Amino acid sequence: MNLRFGNPQIAIGVTFAVLALLLAVVFAVIAVQAGSDVGAQRVHDLGYWLRKRWLAVLLVIGVLVVGVSLFDLPFARGSAADRTVVNVTGGQFFWSLSPDRAPAGSDIRFDVTSVDVNHGFGIYDPDGHLIGSVQAMPGYRNKLDLNLAEAGVYRIRCLELCGLNHSTMESTFTVTRP
Amino acid sequence: MEGAVAAVGGTLHPGATAFTATAQAIERRLGLLFAGTGVALVAGMGVLGLIMRLTQATIIGVSPAWFYRVLTLHGVGMITGVLLVMMGALWYVLHATVPLSAGRMVTTYLLTIAGVLAVLVATLIGGFGAGWAFLPPLPFYPAGQWSVWSESLFFVGNLLVGAGFCVFCIDVLEQTTNTYGGLFRALGWHYLRGRDEDAPPPQAIAATVVAIDGLISCAVGSTILLGLLGRTYDHAVGIDALVAKNLVYFFGHSIANLTIYLAAAVVYVLVPRYAGRPYETTKVFVAGWAGSLVFIATAYSHHLYMDFVQPAWADVISEVASYGALLPVAVITIYSMTMLIWGSSFHWTLASTLLYVGFAGWAIGGVGAVIDSIIPINFRLHNTTWVVAHFHTYLILCVVVWAVAFLAHLLERDAGRTTPRALRAWTVGLILVGGYGLTGTWFVEGALGVPRRYAIQPSGTTGYSVVGASFALLLAFGFLILFLQFIPLARTAWTRRHNHLLVDHFDSWTGTHYQARALHAGNAPALETAGQSRRGTPLTGRAQLGFGLAACIVALAAFFPQIIDASEVSNRYHHLDHAGQFFLGAMLGVLLGSLPAISHRLGDHSSLGLTAVLVAPMLMMAVMVPRIYEPLERDPFEHSLYHLAMAAFGLLTGVGATRLGLVTGRIMFVLSVGMPLMFAAAMK
Repeated sequence: MNLRFGNPQIAIGVTFAVLALLLAVVFAVIAVQAGSDVGAQRVHDLGYWLRKRWLAVLLVIGVLVVGVSLFDLPFARGSAADRTVVNVTGGQFFWSLSPDRAPAGSDIRFDVTSVDVNHGFGIYDPDGHLIGSVQAMPGYRNKLDLNLAEAGVYRIRCLELCGLNHSTMESTFTVTRP
Repeated sequence: MEGAVAAVGGTLHPGATAFTATAQAIERRLGLLFAGTGVALVAGMGVLGLIMRLTQATIIGVSPAWFYRVLTLHGVGMITGVLLVMMGALWYVLHATVPLSAGRMVTTYLLTIAGVLAVLVATLIGGFGAGWAFLPPLPFYPAGQWSVWSESLFFVGNLLVGAGFCVFCIDVLEQTTNTYGGLFRALGWHYLRGRDEDAPPPQAIAATVVAIDGLISCAVGSTILLGLLGRTYDHAVGIDALVAKNLVYFFGHSIANLTIYLAAAVVYVLVPRYAGRPYETTKVFVAGWAGSLVFIATAYSHHLYMDFVQPAWADVISEVASYGALLPVAVITIYSMTMLIWGSSFHWTLASTLLYVGFAGWAIGGVGAVIDSIIPINFRLHNTTWVVAHFHTYLILCVVVWAVAFLAHLLERDAGRTTPRALRAWTVGLILVGGYGLTGTWFVEGALGVPRRYAIQPSGTTGYSVVGASFALLLAFGFLILFLQFIPLARTAWTRRHNHLLVDHFDSWTGTHYQARALHAGNAPALETAGQSRRGTPLTGRAQLGFGLAACIVALAAFFPQIIDASEVSNRYHHLDHAGQFFLGAMLGVLLGSLPAISHRLGDHSSLGLTAVLVAPMLMMAVMVPRIYEPLERDPFEHSLYHLAMAAFGLLTGVGATRLGLVTGRIMFVLSVGMPLMFAAAMK
């Protein structure tokens, strides 16, 4: 199964690309203007006037982005009473999932831990999209809530450097048709 | 003489003569030593990076075992390399106004080099490959790849690098606070409150912030490294994975982050030299750096977003701090510098061109980092190559580029000339295309969900690695051409420095000005010792001394048999009791060393004090291992002696802190006491 760009990742990538290009243009313009001779006082007056607006823009963006993000935190909440709990254990260099399958559309709580070192539980849907991750940490249980609507084989990859065979530490989780 | 070089060679803006300090021989020598060594280290580590990218592209074959050794060495070596350059650069620009100690700088150099050598042996010979973040408990699960000695040597190497940085930070903090009259004044906060118009220069304020955050990071790093060293000696030591992860990332993230803030302090001095406009402290500048002081120390927790057991408030603070850190950078450093450059008839040389493109690297890489610091986005990008992409953007295309720019600045000033314009354009062009191509490929792969630190890439993604490796080769070629340009510059600089100088003369007969060759007057004598004047002691006045005495009386509880017995329930409480005994000694040391009569007798031995505050807490934690103290606990007398030793280490630390003056002494006391507390928290 090859990896594919997920829609959220495409949106993130395009946003970044646009901002990066915008910055590149701004720096190119400043480089061209650097050679000209403009009075220091004029630059000072205009620059500081503009800087206040620049700060205000960044503050507004910050409040909006950080504020909105707090309504979409991925941390598991509430009890697992209505969920299918999947106990996940990571170890050098294996994943153990119990149970290793669930019907499509069910709310699942992945209860993730490790028997040795830190691992990263990264889950990819049957089309190869990375849909989320949580760390597997020895001595702790990290809980990840997901609703897996699409039937098929989900691939688990390790997303935390865990030693020699980190890049081949894989497993699968099957979502069956209800 | 500096003015003569600038006027003849014209490497600086003509308008910069008025505010460009004369570079003393010691500044140039130390600057060159640190920049030369650091850039060489960065170049070597860059080659290792190229090897890894070529491996991922399956162009060359490196086994996973060697891949992770190389990955580990690349990470530690690269951060240490840029740290070396930036420490040297900051010393170079700060020494003109703050009497930093050359001796301590040489100590920093030696400790850092010893640390690098230790890491080199631990990885390449010992096979250690747990990554530069050495996330506990991975070092103790080698999967047959490394042995106890190599993991121990790796920890020692990191400790030495941290100790070197610590010496640098203590010296900077001690001297800036002495020079400007206290901590608040060195940070410019008095100026912010409008009480005084005389603010420290921008580089001094930035250096003070870096020194404080650097010392906190070193204290945290030393604590976890000593805990891990204890674990290598005694496998019964249990380390809490979550606390350890917090400590490791606080240390690693902050040190990596501080390299760019060190660099910012340097560019405040260098960029005006090419723009011909001075850069001065403003209230907005002071406020921005006050924000950075907080944000640098609180942003690290974004590394633990996907550890859902980490308290959510810590993640939210980290998200706010990660965005907050952007504000001073975007509104003050990058904005002000580009404002300074705008319409300035900017003097383009090799150094100034590299300085300029570095701002773009910081801005673009910073945007990628801020995007990744949003928690729901991080859920989709955590530990993918997106992370590799954003930090390589601002490390390669800003910090490394600025490190090389500093070396170019030194060589161009000494040579009195720059390199041909077309050659400069090709060089910088290659670095930009190669650099952004390399990191751009990682951004794309990150969006695709490719995990980072994979020796073998997921199927179907090798093509991206091939493209990335191609750009990496271009980048390497660009840097190679850049380094080749340094050779003729260095030759010219050597000739000018050692054979003759062009000196301005005035002919009183004809009334004309002319330049004549003159024999070099010889450089200043070898390492000078900066004049150090200690300012006060940590406790001043009867009220503070009384408070110290009261704290000592309260801390006596750590020796009560009931408390000692109660602490036996777990390693964590046991170590907490040891921390209390250390606190008692340290408090007593500060109290005694602050008493005027004793302080006078102890004299102004700040270097001895520095050694004590560095070494004593480390020794205390090094012997805080069950395998060492449990045999002693069988005999009541030996048990008591062990506890007294804890207090004695504290006493040494406390007395040492009093030799560092009021501000540095207090900060080192607090950090030293905090180290065994964190040590106890990390145990289980």
